[in-house]
Amino acid sequence: MTDRESSLPSATSNDDPALAAELAALYARMPAAEPAQIARCTSAVLSAALPAPGAARPIGGLRFRWWWGAAAAALLIAVVTRPWRPDQAQQEADSAFVAAAAALEPRGLTVEERNGSVTRFDLTLPASTKAVSLVGDFNGWDEAATPMVRRASDGAWSTRVPLPPGRHVYAFVVDGQRWLVDPLAPQVPDAGFGPTNALIVGGTP
Amino acid sequence: MHAPALIACLLLIQLLVAEGSVEPPERRPHAQAEARQESREPRRQQVQFDASRFDSLTATALRSILDRAAAQGLPTAPLINRALEGAARRASGPKILAVVRVHAAALAEAREALGDRSTSQELDAGATAIGAGIDPGVLAAIRETRGPGQAITPLVVMTDLVRRGVPSLTARDAVTSIAIMPTSDEALLGLQLTVAKNAQRGPGMALDALNRYVRLTVPGARPPSTPATLDRKPVRPPPS
Repeated sequence: MTDRESSLPSATSNDDPALAAELAALYARMPAAEPAQIARCTSAVLSAALPAPGAARPIGGLRFRWWWGAAAAALLIAVVTRPWRPDQAQQEADSAFVAAAAALEPRGLTVEERNGSVTRFDLTLPASTKAVSLVGDFNGWDEAATPMVRRASDGAWSTRVPLPPGRHVYAFVVDGQRWLVDPLAPQVPDAGFGPTNALIVGGTP
Repeated sequence: MHAPALIACLLLIQLLVAEGSVEPPERRPHAQAEARQESREPRRQQVQFDASRFDSLTATALRSILDRAAAQGLPTAPLINRALEGAARRASGPKILAVVRVHAAALAEAREALGDRSTSQELDAGATAIGAGIDPGVLAAIRETRGPGQAITPLVVMTDLVRRGVPSLTARDAVTSIAIMPTSDEALLGLQLTVAKNAQRGPGMALDALNRYVRLTVPGARPPSTPATLDRKPVRPPPS
């Protein structure tokens, strides 16, 4: 009896000797596999475990699909054939830039009311502001003379001052420390103290 | 005579002498100049020199500057305003004096350019324009477009345009071309607002906005300058 007939390939010392002998006898009676059969089995196992030669390889865990290329081609055609309007694109970019810049700056407004006898000053500031006062040549640049009141409707600081016709120079004092000017109103250049605003009240001065 | 009565008499005499030696405010030269200016501009509030806002040395020096300005026939209200602004900003005495002196010199220069019949506010606006670096000749050009008392708006707008980066001569051409139109004050203020909004995107954009505004406002006008921005790229505004 050869080794193939006497023992199983995976036999251990703990196996039941009777069962092992039975299985060994069955194993010995089985016909030996032919080389061609072994080759077919090996090929079948490898083809199941590995991609076939020439098949698409997965990209990033995804398999390439044909419609990916179609979508990319459509996007390219849309970008190339889209009418390019530089003015409009520039305008949109500028608007976004100005809006972003304006959100960071104080916004002021002066309105003549009651036929020009009273002028309303508005100033929009961040919500953290505690107090704002208006100073100018009409109140002797006195911070305590013209305090501004926060309007409940929009949060803007506002005050009304009777002003005679003519040119007036003014500024805003925030929290008793910081002097601000309205960025869009006419400005008087800094001549040593800091910039101020100029206002022209209608009528003949 | 008892000693207390003698002391009281002496104090009374000293007080009377002291009152007589102090010149009343209305007799001071700058007060007289204010009164003259007031008669020319009756509705304008008179600006008072409040010496208590300054230390004694600064107040004395300011009085001297005001008297000299009044002697030259210059309005003193703009100088007092400058001094009060400096005091409100808690500037030092020497700084206040320096600013007021420079403004007084600019007032004299503005009067040379704008003429003797100019109002106090015109001279103040002109002096501010000179302080912004505008040539007095430009002030004279503005005066040619507007009569006495009517040049305040062009001067204010001109100063603002130059401050926002528009070249002085370009601003002069734009302002004078609009100022000769009837009811042009609104148009000038519109020009100022347009340039101010576009100046946030850079000086070049401000210049292009000025060109467009003049072309649309003044019939047949040539733009004051060549286009400044050909690529139309926005530029981050300079830090204020």
